[in-house]
Amino acid sequence: MNKQEQQDYLDKYKKAKEKGVPFFPDIIFKDTIVVFIVFIILIALAYFVGVPLEARANPNDANYTPRPEWYFLFLFQLLKYFPGNLEVVGAMILPGLFITLLLLLPFIDRSPKRHFMTRPYASIAAIVVVLGIGLLTWLAVNEAPPPIQAAVVDKAAALYATDCANCHGQGIVIPEGTDLHKLIAAGNHQGMPAWGGDLSADEIDMLAGFILSPNGSALFTQECASCHKSPVLASGNPVQLQKVFDEGKDFPAHKDLNTPDWKSTLTPDQENALLNFLAAPDGQRLFAINCQGCHGEGVGFSGTKEELRAMIEKGGHEIKMPGWKDTLSADDLNTLAQYVVDPEANSAGSTMFGKYCAACHGDKIPAAPDEASALSIIALGGSHITMPVWGEILTAEQLDALTSYTWDTSQGVGVASGEKLFASNCRGCHGKFGEGGPNPTFPGDMIFPISSSEYLKTRDDATIRNIISQGQPDYGMTPFGSAYGGSLSDEQIDAILGFIRSWEANPPSVSPPKAPPVVTQPQELSASQIYGSLCAQCHGVNREGTASGPALDPAQLRAEFDDQALHDMINNGVLKVAMPGLGNMFTDDQVKKLVILVAGTETGTSTGSGTVPKPPTNSTVSFNDQVLPIFQAKCSMCHSSATTFGGWDSTSYQAVMTSGDNAPEVIAGDPDNSYLMQLLQATNGAFMPPTGKLSDEEIQIIMDWILAGALDN
Amino acid sequence: MLANLGDWLNDRFGWRGIWEAIFLRKVPHVNWFYTLGSASLFVAINQAITGILLTLYYVPTPDHAYDSVVYITTQLPFGWLIRGLHHWGASAMVVLVVLHLLRVFFYGAYKFPREATWMTGVILLIVVIGFGFTGYLLPWDQRAYWATTVGTRIAGVAPYVGDFLLKIARGGPELSAVTLARFFGTHIWVLPTTLALLVVIHLYLVIRVGISAVPAKDE
Repeated sequence: MNKQEQQDYLDKYKKAKEKGVPFFPDIIFKDTIVVFIVFIILIALAYFVGVPLEARANPNDANYTPRPEWYFLFLFQLLKYFPGNLEVVGAMILPGLFITLLLLLPFIDRSPKRHFMTRPYASIAAIVVVLGIGLLTWLAVNEAPPPIQAAVVDKAAALYATDCANCHGQGIVIPEGTDLHKLIAAGNHQGMPAWGGDLSADEIDMLAGFILSPNGSALFTQECASCHKSPVLASGNPVQLQKVFDEGKDFPAHKDLNTPDWKSTLTPDQENALLNFLAAPDGQRLFAINCQGCHGEGVGFSGTKEELRAMIEKGGHEIKMPGWKDTLSADDLNTLAQYVVDPEANSAGSTMFGKYCAACHGDKIPAAPDEASALSIIALGGSHITMPVWGEILTAEQLDALTSYTWDTSQGVGVASGEKLFASNCRGCHGKFGEGGPNPTFPGDMIFPISSSEYLKTRDDATIRNIISQGQPDYGMTPFGSAYGGSLSDEQIDAILGFIRSWEANPPSVSPPKAPPVVTQPQELSASQIYGSLCAQCHGVNREGTASGPALDPAQLRAEFDDQALHDMINNGVLKVAMPGLGNMFTDDQVKKLVILVAGTETGTSTGSGTVPKPPTNSTVSFNDQVLPIFQAKCSMCHSSATTFGGWDSTSYQAVMTSGDNAPEVIAGDPDNSYLMQLLQATNGAFMPPTGKLSDEEIQIIMDWILAGALDN
Repeated sequence: MLANLGDWLNDRFGWRGIWEAIFLRKVPHVNWFYTLGSASLFVAINQAITGILLTLYYVPTPDHAYDSVVYITTQLPFGWLIRGLHHWGASAMVVLVVLHLLRVFFYGAYKFPREATWMTGVILLIVVIGFGFTGYLLPWDQRAYWATTVGTRIAGVAPYVGDFLLKIARGGPELSAVTLARFFGTHIWVLPTTLALLVVIHLYLVIRVGISAVPAKDE
């Protein structure tokens, strides 16, 4: 465009402008209308279509088919035509060239022509580009696998892979009678997280089914997933599931769907695997779904486990109740019938029920609609026709699991077994009702009541489990969890927890006795007294050993250790097996006497004073002078007795060691596993204080203090 | 009263001059295609406002990004609307600026004396695409993560400097918290300031030179 053409344009434009309209209101009016329409469309899209949000990003899921935003699809498609070394052409050169052309367009096309008909080359080029981009986008949409098809993967396996495989590997062997659903939902105290918050009940069932029957999950994906989006059947009724096979094409829900006759399509093994996946052989769940409606929490049963299994298998037709009309008088029959219909009505019935019926019926009183029918059932007896023949419905694995669980409930696990376990493991120190009392390992120390409502309300289950499992070594409580060298399994600890929790509903009627202060000073105890009150807890009263500690055979000890090693062991404890050190409680002389007590004298070696050094005074870091001031300055604004965030109180030694949702927050001698150190050093992702890391010096002081045994000094 | 206030302010700010220059200027008769620029500007403002509101709740870390987006969408009062407007606004933005560009192209409006207006417009288009690309990762769902993995990988195919570019884009060899942080930073600081600056220049040029007339058949 030369100067003349430019001037011509300007003149022409000036005329057009003079003939034109003012920007406001004419143009603004049009703009406003369009803007309004655009806004309405956006709101409509937000309301009616919403915004898609897929599952949380999972970097391990390499099977995901990436799909860019729609306006990048054409680039995505373009790349497909430039494989290998040519990729740079599609990715860089072509787009770069296009952008450069676009940017420099005014200098490339310098003709004065403006109407698109008068410059055909430019117009055609633009149309080709627009159509090209449109075509590429269309191809991308059609070539990419439809998302639904891409989603048909074994969901249960995927869930297992993302959530479980990191710790459990390819598969898990589940001990019989495990409440798998509850375990997955609640986690355990050996570091397994509680999944209940992240996963739905169906997903947990699906996982349980997959863990117990991985093949079934694969079969489900292959055969059923095209119609059943997810195995919601996992919590479903096994009776219905079995009907799918028994009724084949006549199964009501499948009738019009042209499904194959599953009975002939799948082998018996496959059928079994599929059923095990859909209704996992998980005794507790099976009981809850199938039996609870009639049997309540459990079944009273006095036979053997084999008999129980046979009874479940054969169902109610085989369970014959005798006719009572020959044995009982008419009055007795009436009393019983009245009692069964309304237990409140006739108290005499209760005794009679206990005498004649409870052997089979347990505590569960069979319901009858009215007295007349109750009377006829009791008088004539008969079979228990409402109980299905489970042997025809459940798979062998499911029957085993169900039997095993039912058996356990009939033996009274739960609160009752928790009470027994509490009595044998905890009562010695905590008292019959958890009222506490003098601490046998720390003279002068009183054990806090653990049955007060305040204690129970401020400790969640995880905290109490941790305390039982890991012990409180600083208070002389040894770890009880098998993972920490103790003798109790997770289930047993749960049972104890259940018993402790039962106090919450029914607080112990006896108020804690006021225990007299301990008169015996630790320094006055003889070696055998010390052994009896402390060592015997783990090593046995007669040194025979228990589940928590080895037997102490003098000859064997002598063969392995000399005086010095034994002294150190008793004095400092053995961290690896959670044996507490006694050096802080007793005098060196008492420790030496203990050595002689457990191992006899070392022949040829003098045990006189002097050969045994003083206990290492590695407690150079003082809690009160060095550690506590850090807590006061940096922690106590949130972690005090008034504001116990995270349940932790940092204002006193006692509180530091025992409080906290993750109590104990401090594990003496083990900074790496002390939650406090993990937070301070941010080794686990979370960190404290939220306002910024402590100085290296401060962290070192706390670490040294924990290393030295987290003493109260 | 109001007129007095207007006079008082005019004596000090001289706003009547600005008002006349911007709003009372005469423009040629134009058709509805000429509203596309204003519509783009409107959507840009919509994106800015909803974007600011989103940052009040959004947390740009891999641990919390997804949860915060879920929270915004499902829990926050009108969160669905804010996020919906922002999400669909992004698509609308792309559609509108491309249509705007096509209008300018087919009317020959990029020619003298509007070359500079066109060039700022093209850069604005690139910025808009940059918004789309960086914003796509922020919800941290599967789609976001994998699309960005593929998208950033493209930077790696450049000869010689590919690896270097890839590392700059991702902040490391893999997509990580660093990637999320820099995409977030780019999306809410770098690109908006660039966009604002370019929009001001673009509008200044539009007002100074005037919007083009619809060309006649013989032009």
